[in-house]
Amino acid sequence: MRSRPFEAWALLAAGVLGLAVLLLAPNVLDRYILNLLTLTLLMMSNALAWNWMGGFAGQVSFGHAAMFGVGGFVAARLSLLTGLPAPITWLVGGLAGGAFALIAHPTLRLRGPYFSIATIGIGEASRLVFTYWEAFSGGASGVSLPLVAGGKEALYYWALGFALLVGAASVRIRRSMFGLQLLAIRDDVEAAADAGVNATLLQDAMLCCSGAVVGITGGLYASYFSFIEPNDMFGFDRSISFVLMGVIGGLGSVLGPALGALIFVLSSQLLLASYPELYLGLYGVLLILIILFEPLGLTGLGRRLLRTLRRAQAARARGART
Amino acid sequence: MAQLLDLAVSALLLGGLYATMAYGLGLIYGVLRVVNLAHGGVIMTGAYLGWVLHERLGIDPYLGLPIVAVVCFALGVVLYRGVCARLPRGAAGGAPSLLLLFGVWLVLRNIAYLVFTGNDRVIRTSYSTESLPFLGTFLSINRLAVLGISLLVPIALHLLFSRSLLGKAMRAVAQDADSCTLVGVDVERIYSLTFGIGTALGGIAGLLSATLFAFGPAFGAGELLKSFVVVVLGGLGSVGGTFVAALILALVEVFSILLLPAYLTPAVGFVLLVVVLVLRPGGLWGQRVLG
Repeated sequence: MRSRPFEAWALLAAGVLGLAVLLLAPNVLDRYILNLLTLTLLMMSNALAWNWMGGFAGQVSFGHAAMFGVGGFVAARLSLLTGLPAPITWLVGGLAGGAFALIAHPTLRLRGPYFSIATIGIGEASRLVFTYWEAFSGGASGVSLPLVAGGKEALYYWALGFALLVGAASVRIRRSMFGLQLLAIRDDVEAAADAGVNATLLQDAMLCCSGAVVGITGGLYASYFSFIEPNDMFGFDRSISFVLMGVIGGLGSVLGPALGALIFVLSSQLLLASYPELYLGLYGVLLILIILFEPLGLTGLGRRLLRTLRRAQAARARGART
Repeated sequence: MAQLLDLAVSALLLGGLYATMAYGLGLIYGVLRVVNLAHGGVIMTGAYLGWVLHERLGIDPYLGLPIVAVVCFALGVVLYRGVCARLPRGAAGGAPSLLLLFGVWLVLRNIAYLVFTGNDRVIRTSYSTESLPFLGTFLSINRLAVLGISLLVPIALHLLFSRSLLGKAMRAVAQDADSCTLVGVDVERIYSLTFGIGTALGGIAGLLSATLFAFGPAFGAGELLKSFVVVVLGGLGSVGGTFVAALILALVEVFSILLLPAYLTPAVGFVLLVVVLVLRPGGLWGQRVLG
């Protein structure tokens, strides 16, 4: 307790410093690192939004790639057809992602394993439909997009701004009544319902928001790489990546998934480069180890470390007194 | 007419296969209250085991069936003892167990990819293309064999549950694990045996599919979904109920070919799941499977 104000200041200072570094980054970093950083920021938004469902509401989705893909392709088609400014197309892509998430509504009245397996189905089905719907998605050869005004640097700032927004939303949701109700659903649906929580409505609302965020990042991703194709956007691997980022960072923690996204993007770059044939299994092993030994992921590790430090501090203080 | 008969026979055959897959998933869920997300991986493992036995050792897939069943049983016991049993208590039904078994699936897939590469395989025997004349159409011998085995599986399961002490213990644990401990049932042992049997059923289903369809390391995702649809549709109440549910899924899938482009067939099971959940959330026979 005694050290809380200091810690809060340290956190604030680190945050301000970090933000300053991130704002200046495009002037300093080379192309490759900046690419990675943008990708990380986009994935941070995704991981945080996935965690709203997987962590807060306790409904693990293995099909979030569907909304990512829908958002990406709607944004891409819109900008090719109408030439609207990119941010508007992203927004429409996000709306499409949110709406698409609601298609799952009938299965969402059900929770837990029902939800999870249904999301595997939705993910697979939408990948197939979009791969074969060539008029819209370009089939296996994909869609190329026009360059965005301001180039990659502008997109970096958009991604940064959006990630901050989603992070702030995460904190806001977690502290709100809405967030509490979601946690109640996760812990005991029936008890929550008895206390007057409308589980179906809240879950739908959350999934819709989560889908919208993922849809917007889909659009941003499409603009950034100026090329997308269904197997990448809708792929099973992509859905798994959202799950992993959430779990690595800490299922249900507020900002942990953002850290998870950072670790995931960096490690997948390294792994894909050196062990492309192993990475799926390594992620599987990681998933197993985290769930068995530290279900809260990095957040849990951090908390444990903090506890140990505090205890050591307290022991020292006691030692000094005697 | 001949086409209709053909489709009906296909449906019966697929139904048997789906039922075999679903028994594995349903059994584990019924007793342990865990949805085995690694089930698809187990089916894929069974397919590769059968393929190895046939291609490398020259063992006919139907003679290899017991071997595959035993190996998969062992795999299931190891999975339970090594991974599932270590889950914190109370976490068995929730997100952690789903994520854990999902991780197991990823590992299985990757192992298959490393050992067998990503190429599609199929078990092709000397009699794969032979068929018998039947009412103006032809029935493939292999398909008949698959059907025969998938009819034997529910009979064997029924006998297990109704006659053997193990089966009775499994049913008792499914109803109330705490009371079972009181009367001296080793619940952990029943859990690991159940997981083993469920996994063996998945392996058998995988081997049978491998004689019919091409498969690769990613094989099993659709099968997991189908097994799940069947379990939800049929409930966990009876061996027969599951079989009927599997037949319904197979009929809908097979006859959808008449109406839909083939690439949409995998989505049929999912649509059926949604329809069932909306119209009869308790499954066909009104027993709610999952909370």
